[in-house]
Amino acid sequence: MIPEGSLLAAHDLRKTYGSTPALDGASFSVHPGEVVAVMGPSGSGKSTLLHCLAGIITPDSGTITYAGRELSAMSDAERSALRRSDFGFVFQFGQLVPELTCVENVALPLRLDGVKRKAAERTAREWMERLEVDDLAAKRPGEVSGGQGQRVAVARALAGSPKVIFADEPTGALDSLNGERVMELLTEAARSSNVAVVLVTHEARVAAYSDRDVTVRDGRARDLEHAV
Amino acid sequence: MTLLHSRDAPAAEHHRPRPPSRSAATLRDLGLGIRFAAAGGREGWIRTLLTAVGVGLGVALLLLASSVPHLLDERAAREAARSETRISDSPDTNAVKSDSSVLRINATTEYHDRTVAGYLMRADGSAPVRPPGVARFPEADEMVVSPALKELLAAPGNELLRERLPYAITGTIGDAGLRSPGELLYYAGSDTLTRASGGHRISGYGNVLDGEPLPALLVVLTVMVCVVLLVPVAIFIATAVRFGGDRRDRRLAALRLVGADIRTTRRIAAGEALFGAVLGLLIGLVFFLVGRQFVGAVEIWDVSAFPADLVPDPLLALLIVVAVPLTAVLVTLVAMRSVVIEPLGVVRRGRDRGRRLWWRLLMPLAGLAVLGFTGRVGKYEVVNPFPIAAGAVLVLVGLALLLPWLVEACVNRLRGGPVPWQLATRRLQLSSGAASRAVSGVTVAVAGAVALQMLFAAMNADFNRMTGQDPTRAQFAAYSENVTGAAATSTIEQFRATKGVDVVIGSVEAYASKPGVYAEDDIPPTTSLTIGTCETLRELARIGACEDGDTFVVHPENDKDMSHWVDQAARKGKVVEIGSGGGKPVRWTLPADSPTVTGRTDPMGTPHWGIMATTGAVDAGKLPGATITAQIRVDRSVPDVAEYVRNTAARIDPGMRFVTLDSVERDRQYASIQTGLQVGATVVLLLIAASMLVSQLEQLRERRRLLSVLVAFGTRRTTLGWSVLWQTAVPVVLGLAVAVVGGLGLGATLAWMTEKSVSDWWLFVPLAGAGAALILLVTALSLPSLWRLMRPDGLRTE
Repeated sequence: MIPEGSLLAAHDLRKTYGSTPALDGASFSVHPGEVVAVMGPSGSGKSTLLHCLAGIITPDSGTITYAGRELSAMSDAERSALRRSDFGFVFQFGQLVPELTCVENVALPLRLDGVKRKAAERTAREWMERLEVDDLAAKRPGEVSGGQGQRVAVARALAGSPKVIFADEPTGALDSLNGERVMELLTEAARSSNVAVVLVTHEARVAAYSDRDVTVRDGRARDLEHAV
Repeated sequence: MTLLHSRDAPAAEHHRPRPPSRSAATLRDLGLGIRFAAAGGREGWIRTLLTAVGVGLGVALLLLASSVPHLLDERAAREAARSETRISDSPDTNAVKSDSSVLRINATTEYHDRTVAGYLMRADGSAPVRPPGVARFPEADEMVVSPALKELLAAPGNELLRERLPYAITGTIGDAGLRSPGELLYYAGSDTLTRASGGHRISGYGNVLDGEPLPALLVVLTVMVCVVLLVPVAIFIATAVRFGGDRRDRRLAALRLVGADIRTTRRIAAGEALFGAVLGLLIGLVFFLVGRQFVGAVEIWDVSAFPADLVPDPLLALLIVVAVPLTAVLVTLVAMRSVVIEPLGVVRRGRDRGRRLWWRLLMPLAGLAVLGFTGRVGKYEVVNPFPIAAGAVLVLVGLALLLPWLVEACVNRLRGGPVPWQLATRRLQLSSGAASRAVSGVTVAVAGAVALQMLFAAMNADFNRMTGQDPTRAQFAAYSENVTGAAATSTIEQFRATKGVDVVIGSVEAYASKPGVYAEDDIPPTTSLTIGTCETLRELARIGACEDGDTFVVHPENDKDMSHWVDQAARKGKVVEIGSGGGKPVRWTLPADSPTVTGRTDPMGTPHWGIMATTGAVDAGKLPGATITAQIRVDRSVPDVAEYVRNTAARIDPGMRFVTLDSVERDRQYASIQTGLQVGATVVLLLIAASMLVSQLEQLRERRRLLSVLVAFGTRRTTLGWSVLWQTAVPVVLGLAVAVVGGLGLGATLAWMTEKSVSDWWLFVPLAGAGAALILLVTALSLPSLWRLMRPDGLRTE
């Protein structure tokens, strides 16, 4: 049922919002260091799948296994702790905390995990340098461009040394040049750190940075590793 | 004309429509704003409703405040209508007996700290006059009661009150006969009441109002109470106008994109605010009218009102109708000056530099200057309330203006700290305006309350009289002129036998005179004769050895003249005549061996002298015109002990005067103002809490998506909960600091004006505590919303 060597795997996930089915028997898996693109049209259930995989929401039925542990058996607090320690997130509009400076934003996941401020900001600066945004450290998100903000968001996702990064349309609000640069930096950094990436996108150009594609249609994921 | 023709015709110039005149543009933009507010979809309606409900709450409160003069007039008129028709300057003068006259005695009592007013009445003839609101004169052992008293009597657990008022209820007193719906009042019928047993004959009801003019100090207090209660309401309305401002700014940015200039957007915003304010006026009117129907059922600090009494003063109501929309427009235009709305939907605060301090300081200083120039207010001077009100308003509004500067200056210096603290302070650094606005109501209310408390404390001595009573020696005193003879001695025994009573200092008193024939102008030497047990007499004089049958001559302390006068009446070994009130005096010989002792003050604060005799020496039951006094010490640990004692008093004589001893007696008007302040402050604080809560919830709603993202990171609920708490607490702590400093300054100035000295500088502590409690309450109430917004639903975009 669970593909061998997979870090995160889901089987037969179902989720409805009211009477609208968002997931209808979706299955999925990702290996360490692997970049998997989840593709599909608007409303197909891509984001719901990502939120289920990340433990942000719980599916109505089905199983999600992360590093041998059953996600749906965990309490909310345990899933929150897992997200703090093992997962990173990048969203379409960066979703940086507007009142914090860029370096404080990048340091935030570390600080939430109990790392002291100075140490957290030191690590944050290293990641910002790697993502070529170290000059923005003292600026607030409102003072940087969309592409820069998204790179800061990628640095934030990586700063906590996650095992999996969930990226939901990370280039959706960027022009193609900025989008490509963000994808390059994200995938390079992830691969070099052996971090798995679950990349939700509807753009083939973005999906090209992945190792494998999964298509979601009407709540069903067509994963090459799973027969749906 | 054909197309061909038209081609041949000279080309008509393409005219752009002439730009409208400035006033026409203003009207057009205001109209556009009103349309946006009224038909701006869900978002537009939410914003409009937030403003309208906020303004409506404020308007309802203002209408309530403007109804107070009418309320007081109506209450006073009903009070006058039910008081007996005065037939001479002396209230003791009895009316002539007639078919309509009535004998009555005041039988007012107290139950669980609430006054139960009442009269025992007996008709002289077949057509007795009835008090207003009473349809039928009560027969003996019947009573008519107010609805509130009827309810209280019917409620379980009030057996002691039912025992005290054992009359059959035969009717209810109508509104015309009641001061307020919560008033406890009864009229009971009697067939035994006589003039001799204390009855007073009246010929009718209804008196001319003779309201006492307020002393100057109380005018200052009243003005301050009004200012302190109404300025926060005005600030609340100004805050409510800006509810949902962020959403509106985003909408206006879209208008900029299609060519609206900055002035146009401001006017459109003003139009939206105008619509919200007018809608708020209507909602406020509805709140007021609906609330008015329920006001009779609500009682705050023992104050209640009939719905019909709440009629706003027409001039004040007009002022509200004009001022509220005008304030809404002005506040919006001023607020829009600090916002730059750009066409690409980007809204940036146009304030690159910090807030300026100098002009914010001007207003409170101007207020203090106005108060200073008004000068000192003498106790008996006629006071002009307007400069005092203006000065106080300037100081309080000035404090509200100082707050945003202080919050900005302080939070910009805050660094580091744990994540919740960092999130909160960074948020405040980015935009502290909304937080300051939300807190400004608390600041002004607390500052005003601190100033008022200082003023109350400074004036305390003027309005609180030291009674000289000693509640440690006795807690209650009962006094009756109607219980005489043998009943007098049994009265004391009945009090002694009452549950929870420890000691009764019970004495029978009469007058003792030197017998003889005196000229008309001569006053016979007379002193008092007090009869009681040795134990009782020791409480009234410094008596050493005492046995039943002993008598004493008692001199007052340090008063030779009075001692001499006592000795003239109380001649040892000689006869004295005892009695007064028209009965035949009893002759009695004062034993020659009666020692002379010094009198002392009783628990009621009354000094005693004259002749004192133990019960074995004089038969108290046979003395004409004797009165009884019982000063009662009780065991406070016995539940309802006061009610047991009152029941005994009512059983012996419903007209018995019964008082609770207290070392301090408060002036009635002063007490009313203090009660008014408590009622108003409670309502205003609730309003402020509502304002803060709406503001808090609005901010949370704005950050819904961000909160969901933070949850996605695995942020703990407690982290965000603390962050919300800090975000509220930091401005409130600063606001309270401003309030305390400003309030102490204003209070000291007012104390100086009224020629008083500040007696207690620490009065602000409980008020600051109340402000802090308000923060906790608001934070606690906003947490469910925070938890709800922390759901991952906020991440969904489809």
